[in-house]
Amino acid sequence: MRKIYTGCIKPVKTLFSLKMRLAFFFAFLSTSMASATHIEGQTMEKIRVDINARNLPMKKVLQMVEQQSALTIGYDLSIIPADSKITYMASGKTVATVLKELLSAFPVDIVAVNDKYLLIQSNGQQQAVRITGRVTDNTTGEPLPGVSISIKGSSSGTQSDVDGRFSLGFPANKEEATLVVYFLGFKKKELLLKKANSSGLNIQLEEDRLGLDEVVVTGQGVDIAKRRLSSNIVSIGARDIADLPVSRLDQLLQSRLPNAQIKLTGGQAGATSLIRARGVNSAFVNSTPIIYVDGVRMDNLNTASALGGGSTQGAAISAIADIPMDNIDKIEYINGGAATTMYGSDAANGVIQIFTKKGGAGAASINAETQMGVETPTADFLRFKRTKELLMQNGFYQKHHLGINGGQDKFGYSFSGNYLNSQGTEIFNQNRNRKIDFSTGFRAGLGEKVTYESSFTFVNNKYKRNRNGNQGGYTGLWFTESGASAITGPKFNPDIDNLSDDDFQKMKTYVREAERLQDNDITVNRFQTSQSFKYRPLKNLVFKATGGIDYRVQKNQVITTNQYLSFTTGNPVKDQGSITNNDRKYLGITLELNGQHEWKTGQFSFVTTAGTQFFRNEDQQIAYNGANIRDGARNIKDAASKTSDEFYLEVVNYGIYLQENIGFKNKLFIDLGIRGDGNPAFGRNIGIQYYPKVGFSYVPSAEPWFAGMTRVISSAKIRGGYGIAGNLPTAFANERTIAFQGYNSDQAAFFGQPGNDNLKPEKTHTLEAGVDLGFIKDRLLVSAGYYNAKTHDALFYVPPTPSTGQSMSQLYNVGRILNRGWELSITAIPVETKNFSLRLNASLNTLYNNVESSGGVAPFNINGFSARTIQTVVQEGFPVGFLRGNVGVFGPDGVLQSTTAQQNLGTTIPDLFGSLGLNLRYKQFTFFANGDYQKGAYANSFDRQFRFNYGADNEGIPQAEIDKNKRTNWLNFTNMFTEKTDYIKIRLIGCTYTWKPAMFNRVVKSATVGFSAVNPLNFATSSFDPEATISGSAQGQGGATTGGISYATYSAPRQFLGTLRLNF
Amino acid sequence: MKRYITAILLSGIVALDSCSVLNPNVTEPGFLANPNAASSWVTGLRRQLALTMNQVVVSSELVSDNYYNNRTLSSKVFDIPQIDFIDLDVNNMQVHVQRLREMSEYGLEKVLPADPAATAADSAEVYFSCAFAHILSGELFVGLPGSNTGPVLSPDEHLRIAISQLDKAIALTKNITETGAYTLLKARAYYAMGDAVNAARFATAALSNNSLLRQVKYDGVNNVPNDMQTYIFSSTNNEFAPLPRLDFLDPKYFHTGLAANDQKPVTIVKAEEAWLILAETLIAAGKLTEGRNTLKELLALVSSRPVVMVDDKKETRNGGNRKDYPLTAVKVMFDATDSLRSNYVLDRQAGNVKVYTVSGTLVTVNDLDAAITEDQLLYILYRLRQEIFMAEGRRMTDLGIRFPVSQTEQLNNPNVKSEHIKAQLPSFIPLNRGMDDFTYDKANGVVTMKYDMNAVLVKNKHAKEIFPFIN
Repeated sequence: MRKIYTGCIKPVKTLFSLKMRLAFFFAFLSTSMASATHIEGQTMEKIRVDINARNLPMKKVLQMVEQQSALTIGYDLSIIPADSKITYMASGKTVATVLKELLSAFPVDIVAVNDKYLLIQSNGQQQAVRITGRVTDNTTGEPLPGVSISIKGSSSGTQSDVDGRFSLGFPANKEEATLVVYFLGFKKKELLLKKANSSGLNIQLEEDRLGLDEVVVTGQGVDIAKRRLSSNIVSIGARDIADLPVSRLDQLLQSRLPNAQIKLTGGQAGATSLIRARGVNSAFVNSTPIIYVDGVRMDNLNTASALGGGSTQGAAISAIADIPMDNIDKIEYINGGAATTMYGSDAANGVIQIFTKKGGAGAASINAETQMGVETPTADFLRFKRTKELLMQNGFYQKHHLGINGGQDKFGYSFSGNYLNSQGTEIFNQNRNRKIDFSTGFRAGLGEKVTYESSFTFVNNKYKRNRNGNQGGYTGLWFTESGASAITGPKFNPDIDNLSDDDFQKMKTYVREAERLQDNDITVNRFQTSQSFKYRPLKNLVFKATGGIDYRVQKNQVITTNQYLSFTTGNPVKDQGSITNNDRKYLGITLELNGQHEWKTGQFSFVTTAGTQFFRNEDQQIAYNGANIRDGARNIKDAASKTSDEFYLEVVNYGIYLQENIGFKNKLFIDLGIRGDGNPAFGRNIGIQYYPKVGFSYVPSAEPWFAGMTRVISSAKIRGGYGIAGNLPTAFANERTIAFQGYNSDQAAFFGQPGNDNLKPEKTHTLEAGVDLGFIKDRLLVSAGYYNAKTHDALFYVPPTPSTGQSMSQLYNVGRILNRGWELSITAIPVETKNFSLRLNASLNTLYNNVESSGGVAPFNINGFSARTIQTVVQEGFPVGFLRGNVGVFGPDGVLQSTTAQQNLGTTIPDLFGSLGLNLRYKQFTFFANGDYQKGAYANSFDRQFRFNYGADNEGIPQAEIDKNKRTNWLNFTNMFTEKTDYIKIRLIGCTYTWKPAMFNRVVKSATVGFSAVNPLNFATSSFDPEATISGSAQGQGGATTGGISYATYSAPRQFLGTLRLNF
Repeated sequence: MKRYITAILLSGIVALDSCSVLNPNVTEPGFLANPNAASSWVTGLRRQLALTMNQVVVSSELVSDNYYNNRTLSSKVFDIPQIDFIDLDVNNMQVHVQRLREMSEYGLEKVLPADPAATAADSAEVYFSCAFAHILSGELFVGLPGSNTGPVLSPDEHLRIAISQLDKAIALTKNITETGAYTLLKARAYYAMGDAVNAARFATAALSNNSLLRQVKYDGVNNVPNDMQTYIFSSTNNEFAPLPRLDFLDPKYFHTGLAANDQKPVTIVKAEEAWLILAETLIAAGKLTEGRNTLKELLALVSSRPVVMVDDKKETRNGGNRKDYPLTAVKVMFDATDSLRSNYVLDRQAGNVKVYTVSGTLVTVNDLDAAITEDQLLYILYRLRQEIFMAEGRRMTDLGIRFPVSQTEQLNNPNVKSEHIKAQLPSFIPLNRGMDDFTYDKANGVVTMKYDMNAVLVKNKHAKEIFPFIN
């Protein structure tokens, strides 16, 4: 049934509800656009005049124009007969129109020299003048490619080329122009140019380590300087990621975001990840931030799908794994909290925004990159040495990239094509991965005031998956590492390392065939586009309209043949072959419209931003399965029996926001904002939800008195703020429904969802404060902050009380969750000379997470198994997703004495985490490394528990217990299988060398060779991989998850890759 | 500029039009307002009954000595038996029993009055569903709330409600078979309450139809498979194995062709039970000869029930936790003191095996004739109950074991007291998987059960948890 948002059917309410607000907003917007001229308009296109001249001299008429417009008009008497009499009438016409009509008979041009002065000059006097120059780094003297160069207040712009050179047309009809030179990581420069001296510029940019004047967009609607902001934003530029040999966005950001932790929860292609910054603010939705590409929301499903998913990593496929990322210009990241208020109802986990390249410098520059190497399985955490030999292999990895960038003045284009092919590290290439993607970006100035930008991307990704985790029957890791070889197939002694060579050979033959016969395919096709228009009617007023879509189609096909079943079970079957297909189609539409106005008066400056954002996501999932299918069939056409199922979600959210940033003397800023959101997923009794924020930023280094301290403290910023951001409830979760199913050819009705008329988003209230300091000419940068984030009305999936007769868990806003911690990051540049520089960075974050209130709701499991085994639980007074299971106490005789059920076995959330990095440059040689660490979290090894059960290992359980009770108590001392998961992992070590080859007649402008090792080193306190902990959420699509259970999951492989990059 | 403003306004209007969402779900008012809600709801009740029986049969068969879990899928602790109020499976069983009750009540209060097309037969079936939920509540639990987060009712209170609902169903139905089934259920309720007079009265009444059979149907295509069938036959790895002395009764449920298309029904009412109740009232009253004769009538009925031959060659008992299950036709001893018996363990490789789809037993008329004392007759009676009700979820109740109220209910329902969250496990029940334990002397081809639970029952016949007519 069609559900109309309540505002659309209740007319009185409507007047005061969102539609009305939106209408007001549009009215405001259009009025402000229309009236812009009267406020600020100083140009001949804006100012309107009334002229009524009957037989007056031309001179007089021009004076009338001057008087009414406050413009000065200069002209050469030799080209205009100033005393000739004319008759001319105009009412409300612009100065430009009037002059054009007046002077239509003469061969002249009208040039606006500046805002006040117009010049009438004869035709042809104007010549196309170009601004040319070169941009270099003032420390190293090296040219800077990719620097953005634009004319302030116009749509004209370009980029520097590989030699740092650029060329840009001087604006016609202008004698002066302000050139804006900006490159991420460097201080922005604005140069006032006169037409006469605009060539051969030598522009040296100074590194901006603290980034006070860095321009950011995310969380602000339109560009704003960082110094004005009350919260921290991390920007990562194209230069920083060029040398990283990664193929996924989350992997790219791993170790690069000082205050966020990113863990890939498995090593297979498309594995899900845990991304979290300020703790776990929800027990209902996972902590993945929302992701935008060029202002368009991406599908960021990072847990199991509703159909075809399951609680194991083996079945969960992350939509982040195929977000296109080979044409990135810049990434911005903001933690959840006050900074994400402008994103409203679903931004409590933070926002990642990707900006793609939209053009290059002048003539087309081509860069080609090829990357090849070997992937080798990470066997560090395997219990049995021989598991690697049984299941894994070294695989060949290759990736090729071709990029073309170019453009001039008002036009830019960018193309990127990529091909990735990895054999994977599982035998028979059962985890091979192939990805092809294309992306294009365009930028065009439409007239002086409108800029159009667009990007298109297509990704095709196809990979295999091994049976992984709890899929039942034979699964490779369960068989080997969990000891299930004792009960599977021909049955083996599960202590693999101690098998005789003969027995091992038998096992190997069995495993190889069992692996070979698996057939699990995932195909993703993804198309994404963003279209945006920027309209700048005035220098200080800009409107931006962005729209776009993300369309992602995923197919997961599992073919289980009779041959596979017969072979792995040892029971010949002939009618149990099956094919399961799970398709998921995601369509996300984003529309955003906003305007920003800057105004300065005296010591004060005001930046006003207002906007509206609309998004609509459709998530359709279809399962179509065939049973009793002959081996060899690849679709269900010929199945003896076919079944299907469907799942559909539609999320619509629309919000408006208003933000005011008030500055005093460029050193003190107040940031105010509010967003209102409407959404049909809110309950009947819930109206618009508001998210306010207030913050301040103070830059003491802008004070005169600070000059005395600059020898020690070179720059400083103090910031603080309070803001609210939310997490949306699941679409339709507010409805009370009746469910249906076929039952022996009849329609069976039963209770569906209990419904909740008071359902609303959970809201995280964040109070934060921090200080950013630069010492010794910004050679040492320290950023320290504290936050306290409390989620009110936290959404809990309350399991049904049996006596209610309900079958489904229902979302209620009943909880309260606290996260608080310190965020500290340090960057040091001990040496920086023309030839040599060393940069070190480290971060440290503390985290305290606690469910302060569960609103009287019974503890519930978010990601574990049954209460008898191991669960990750949400319970009042404990961290979200702590491990709960049986604690066994052994007597002095080593025999189990007692078992206490449902005990806290430790939190799965670390209380300390951070990252480390190093970057060393000697001339054109660069060496880099990064890694991250965590401390204070625990996880359960279900593998170990199974190993004990199947007798593959005693796992530290006293022999007396085994002698007395055999292994029957294996579930009664789960505490014996829980371990601390502190770790330090080095994610990347690499080096590059860049030079300008003299060969090929200098066709190749520059070349880079690189070598890198991905995931080279792991140090952990646990016997298992502390990262590879099932995160696929048992709760269902998008559900909260904290990992915490290590169970038959592959670790991310190591890669050793060589890279060659050429710029033509 | 006007162009831009127009474009922006137009896109705004388009955006506003997109505010509505397409909800694919049927809301409650939408359901009640549309025709034929009652027939869908009644079908829903049948489906729920099937799901409820799945939970009841699987859980209680594991708890009892009938079956044990040979792998890790399904409960890993019911075999011990360990029945914790925190256990998800303990919760699941009452979830399904309560859902049957709540759905019946919703049917009576909301659906039937809203649907002019609802018939008396619909009403009768709804009353029956409600009654059956109360019977299960009364038989399987130490106590259970009888309404939405309401007070915990004792087993007798549940059974009394069941009887009154059955009376309403009987008054409404015109179908004689249904009347017979409802009458026998009344006898079952009185039996559970220990009311021998009424139990005998309604059992006798139900025997007007000596082939009475009421079964719950399953539907594998629509995700309502017979779970017990899955565990004992259809699954690639057979998870459950019977106690070897009951091996000949396995599998009661099986499929030929495609499993999804052949899900066997589970019996909830059959005439055998009337004979069993009658016999027990007689034996308990000291009328041993009448009791013995009644059981002979029962044997005649059992032998008239259908038997089919099934290929069960893929049965491998030894894929899981126990690796010493006899796979050939060995002899068994019911316990260490027993003498050798044949035909109890089948050699499934030797050809198709006999499957008793309704009832089967190896008790013979000679066995009955040899039973002289009350205890001997009680022993045979309970052995018959065990064999006839094999895989139907009744044995746990005969053993005097009852489930507690679950933690989920307790945490959300203030009426649940501490005495409700402990399972009832009679002191004579052996722990540590003893009920399922056996030893296999491969050399001599003899399997010996650790315990003969029927003997244990008779030995403890005055325990308050069992033998409703004695205690």
